[in-house]
Amino acid sequence: MWLKRSIAVFSLIASTAFIPVDPYSSTIRMPYQQAGLSKEQAAAHLLNRFSFGIQPGQIDEVVKMGLENWLQQQLEASVPDTKLDKRLADFDALKMNNEEIVNHYLTPAQIIRLGIQQKIIRNDSLSNTDREKYRQELAKVMRASGVKPVQELHRQLVNQKVLRAVYSNNQLKEVLTDFWFNHFNVSLTKGQSQQYVMSYERDAIRPHVFGNFKNMLLATAKHPAMLEYLDNALSVSNDNERARRQQNNAMLRAARERAEARLNDTTMQGNALLQQAVAARRTQGLNENYAREVMELHTMGVDGGYTQKDVTELARALTGWSVRPMFKNGPAMRLIENLDEVQLKRRGLIIDGDFLFRGDKHDESEKIILGKKYSGTDGYEEGVAVLNMLASHVSTAKFIATKMAIRFVSDEPSQALIKALTNTYQQTDGNIKAMIIAMVNHPDFWSKKALREKIKSPFEFAISALRATKAQVMQPFQVFNWCSKMGQRVYYYQAPTGFPDRANFWINSGALLNRMNFGLALATQKIPGVRVNLLALNNDHEPESADEALRAFSKILLPERDNEENIKRLTAMVRDANVEEKIAVAAAKAKNNNMDEEGEEETRRQVTGDKEDYKKEITSMAQVVGIIIGSPEFQRK
Amino acid sequence: MQLEAKNLQHKKTKQMIHRRAFMKSGAMALFAAGFGGVPNFIARAAESSKIIPPYKRNKVLICIFQRGAMDGLMAVSPFADPNLKTLRPTLYMSPAQTQGGMLDLDGQFALHPSLQSLSSYFTEGRMGIVHGVGSPNNTRSHFDAQDFMESGTPFNKGTTSGWLNRAIGLTGHEATPFSAVSITNALPRSLYGDKEALAISNLQDFAIQMQGNPMAGNMAAKSFESLYDQTSNQLLNKTGKESFEAMRILKSTDIKNYQPANGAVYPNSPFGNSLKQIATLIKMDVGMEVAFAESGGWDTHFNQGTVNGAFARNLRDFSDSIAAFWKDMGTYQDDVTVMTMTEFGRTAHQNGTGGTDHGRASCLFVLGNDIVGGKVYHQIKSLAKSDLEDGRDLPVSTDFRAVFSDVAMGHLKLKQTKGLFPGWDGKALNLIKG
Repeated sequence: MWLKRSIAVFSLIASTAFIPVDPYSSTIRMPYQQAGLSKEQAAAHLLNRFSFGIQPGQIDEVVKMGLENWLQQQLEASVPDTKLDKRLADFDALKMNNEEIVNHYLTPAQIIRLGIQQKIIRNDSLSNTDREKYRQELAKVMRASGVKPVQELHRQLVNQKVLRAVYSNNQLKEVLTDFWFNHFNVSLTKGQSQQYVMSYERDAIRPHVFGNFKNMLLATAKHPAMLEYLDNALSVSNDNERARRQQNNAMLRAARERAEARLNDTTMQGNALLQQAVAARRTQGLNENYAREVMELHTMGVDGGYTQKDVTELARALTGWSVRPMFKNGPAMRLIENLDEVQLKRRGLIIDGDFLFRGDKHDESEKIILGKKYSGTDGYEEGVAVLNMLASHVSTAKFIATKMAIRFVSDEPSQALIKALTNTYQQTDGNIKAMIIAMVNHPDFWSKKALREKIKSPFEFAISALRATKAQVMQPFQVFNWCSKMGQRVYYYQAPTGFPDRANFWINSGALLNRMNFGLALATQKIPGVRVNLLALNNDHEPESADEALRAFSKILLPERDNEENIKRLTAMVRDANVEEKIAVAAAKAKNNNMDEEGEEETRRQVTGDKEDYKKEITSMAQVVGIIIGSPEFQRK
Repeated sequence: MQLEAKNLQHKKTKQMIHRRAFMKSGAMALFAAGFGGVPNFIARAAESSKIIPPYKRNKVLICIFQRGAMDGLMAVSPFADPNLKTLRPTLYMSPAQTQGGMLDLDGQFALHPSLQSLSSYFTEGRMGIVHGVGSPNNTRSHFDAQDFMESGTPFNKGTTSGWLNRAIGLTGHEATPFSAVSITNALPRSLYGDKEALAISNLQDFAIQMQGNPMAGNMAAKSFESLYDQTSNQLLNKTGKESFEAMRILKSTDIKNYQPANGAVYPNSPFGNSLKQIATLIKMDVGMEVAFAESGGWDTHFNQGTVNGAFARNLRDFSDSIAAFWKDMGTYQDDVTVMTMTEFGRTAHQNGTGGTDHGRASCLFVLGNDIVGGKVYHQIKSLAKSDLEDGRDLPVSTDFRAVFSDVAMGHLKLKQTKGLFPGWDGKALNLIKG
C-alpha cells in the first residue's frame, strides 16, 4: 500500500516533468491536518522531536517559512552557524586528528612514562603514596613537554556537545548525531578508547547522519574508538600463511628469548616491556565482543535471527581489524613509519587513516555467516562485505526502523509506522534522510497519541530549558554536571547498548527531584556560568502580579500547550505565595491567643528567617519560571 | 517568665516549619484562624502526610565494589606458600615478622595488618573470606571485568540489566523508592534494569533546593507536588508521588547530625561516608534491600608498599569503614550482610616498579550474623608456576556467581535464583546458615 502510494506520487511528480534527483528527499507532505492539528501545533510537535527544544518565537518562524521548508532546510543542515563556530574555534582538539590527540592529551600514566622517557622526572622519584608529589611530577612533565591531561580533551568534547545542542541552527543534525552516537555507543569510561572519542563523533558519526546506514556502520567499525571499546583490535588469528611462516621462524624465537631476558630487568623500561608482552599475550586469539554487539546492537537486533556460530564466524572474518599505531616514539609506530608501500603490502598490512588491517593476524579459512559462504581469501574486503551484508539484512531494516520510531515518535510505535520505515530502509539502501521523511509523511507521527508522549532525556531536558529561556551558556561543563546529576552522564555510559531510550529509565525519584532543582537553579541564576534574562524574555515587561507572570511565562516556555489546569493550580500557590507564612503565624496565634501585634511580627520574622524581602522573592518571576521548567509538562516533548 | 514563654514560643514555631508538623498543625490552625483561599490540596496533603508503611524493616544486602582490582594476595596472604616470597621479594609479609603484625588466620592465610579492625569478626565466625574468586572470563581489562561482574554475565556484554537489579525483582514483593540505593553519582552497572534504583551521592541533597531561601524552596516543593499530582502522564505522576514521599521520609530525620550508635567512628573518607549514609537509611526503615557503595584506589601498579604505603592505607580505610558500619548497626546486625567484590586480582609476582599488574583471581569478604564465617573458603593449590594461570596469575577456582547467588538467595530470601545469573548453572557456595 505504502509502496503503491509512493509510486503514485512519484509518477505524478514525474508526469509534471519535474524530475527530482532522489524521489524520497523531495516528497515531504505532512498529514497533520488530517490528524486535527493546527499549523502551530504541528510546528511545535516537529520542533519537539527534531530539535533540542523550542526557542521563544520559533513556532511562528517555522509556520511562516512553512513546515516542509523548515524540515528540508534541516535535512540539508546548511544554515550558517557563525556565532557557534566562533565559540567552537576555542576547542583545539576539534581540529586535531587522532594522532595529534593521542600525543597531546595524555592519561596520567602516559604522562609519567613520557616524563621518564624524556628524562624530565626520574623513575625512582615516583611515588603513589604521596598524592601531592605525584601531582607535582605530572605538572612538571606537562610544563616541560607541553602535553595536557586527557581530562581536558573530555572537557572539550562535552562542552562542544552542549554548545552545539543549545545554539546550532542545524538542530536536526545535532539531534541525529546524539541519536547515532548512542546507537553506536562508545564510552569515555574505557581507558583504551577514551582518546579517540572526539574523533569518533566528528569523523565516524557526524558526516553520516543524513547518509546511508551502511557507511556509518563501516566508519564506526573501522574507527579506533570502536575497535578498542569492543576489543576487536585485540582479536587475532594465526590461521594464515604469513603467521605459519613466521611461526617457523627461528629468529622470532630468539627475539622472544631476548624479550624474556629483558622482562627480568626491574627498570622502568623492563616494566614497559612487560606490559607490552602482557598486551601481546592478550591479543593471542579470537575476541567475539565486537562481532556479537555489531549484530545484536548495531544491526540485526537480539532476535534478528543469527546464531552463536554466526557470531564466531563474523569475529573470524574481522580478525586483524585494528588500530594504526599512533603513539610517537612507540616501537610499533617506528616500525610502521619505516615501511614503504611495497613493504606494507608484502606484510599484508593495509592502512586507511587510523585503521590498520593486519593480514598476518587475519583468519584466512572459509567462513559461513548467515548462510552465506566467504572463501577467506579476500582479506580486509571480506569484513567489509560481511558488514554490508548485515546492513542490508531485513532484520537490520526492521531493527533500525523500530529504534528510530521509538526515538522520534513514541515509546510504543505502531506496527504500521515500523513497517513503513522498514520499507523505506529497504528501498533506499538504508538512507536516513529518506527515513526521516517517511516518518513525517506517516499519519502516526502526528497522531494525538504521539503528541507530548515522549519524556525528555536529562540532556534533552536541560538543553530545552536553556533554549526556551534563551540562556547564555558561558560554562557548558556546568550543564554536563547537572545532566550527570539527573542521570545522564553523556559520553560515559559504560555499556555498548547506549542509554536506553525509555521514559522509565530516566524517571526515578532522585533524578526527578534533580530536574525540579535544575529548573529552580537555572531560573534563579544559581548555575555558575549560565545566565538567563527573564525580563528580556518577557519583552522587558515586568509582570505586575504573580498571576500575570505565570500566564506570560507558561506561554513562553510551553507554547502550544494547554496550560490552563497547571496555571489554575499554580495561581492558587503564588497568589497566596505567603500562605505558608500566614498559616504558620496563624498556627502560632491559635496556640497563643494572647499574642499581641508585636508578638505576631516576631513570629513572622522567626518563621521567615528574618528575610525582609521574603515576600518579594517568593513571588518573583524566577521562581515561577523555575517551577514551570521543573513541572511535569516541561518534561514532555 | 515572660522570656521563658517567648523561648517556648520560638521553639514551637521552629518545630512547625518542619514539614509534617506544619502540615498538620497548619491545617488545624487555618481552620481555627478561619481565613480562606487555601488550596484544597494542602489540606489533602496534610491528611496524607503520614508515612504509610509499605516501608518496613527488611533484610539488607550491602555490596561494596573495590574498583581497580584489589591485590587479594596481599590482603589475605597465603603466606605459608614458599613461592610467594620468591615471586614478591620486597612485597612479601608474614606473621612471623615481628614488626607489622600480620594476623595468622589458619596457618595458611594471614590478614594484612590493615584489616585489624575486621579480624575479630572473622574470629567470632561472622566474617567469611572467599579466596581465588573471580570471573571465568579471563579479560584483564578493568572495564570489561567490572562490566561482566556487574551484569553477572561474564561472556555477554549485551545484557542490559545488572545482577542486583534482577535480585530486587526476585524478592517477590513490591519495591519502594528506596529498595535499591547506590551511594554514587551515577547508577552503577549492577543496578541497571527495570526495577527502580536510586543513585544518590549525598542524602542531604535529596530535597527541593533553593539556595539561601529555604522558605521559597518549600513553596516550590509544594507547587511541584501539586503539578505532579495532576499530570496525565502516569509515569511522571507515580514517580512524582514517590519522590515527594521519599523526600518527606528523609526530611523527617536529621541526616546532617546523624549520630552513629555504639560509639562507632567512621573514617572521614568518601568510602566511610558512603557506609555512614547507608547506615542512616537502614535505621530509617525506608524499605531498602540492596545498597551499593564503591571503594577506589586499588590499581596498584607502582610502589604498593607493605605494612605501610598506598595499599595499606587504602585497606585500612576499607576495613575501618566496614568495622564502624558493623558496630553502628547494633541491633540491626541480624538484618544486614556486607559483601565485597573486585573485578580481578593482581599478578602473583611483583613488577619492576614495586607494584603488581592485572591478574586473575582475588578474594572477597562476607560479613553478617547469618554467615558461616571464621573460614577461608578456597580451592587454591599453590603459587608454583605450574599452578598459576598463564604461569603468572592466581587462577579463578571459585566463580563469583557461586558466592553472589548464595548470599543474595540466602540473605534476601529470594523466591528463586532462576534468572539472577542467566546462562549459569553452577553450584552455589554455602556461606549462609540454614
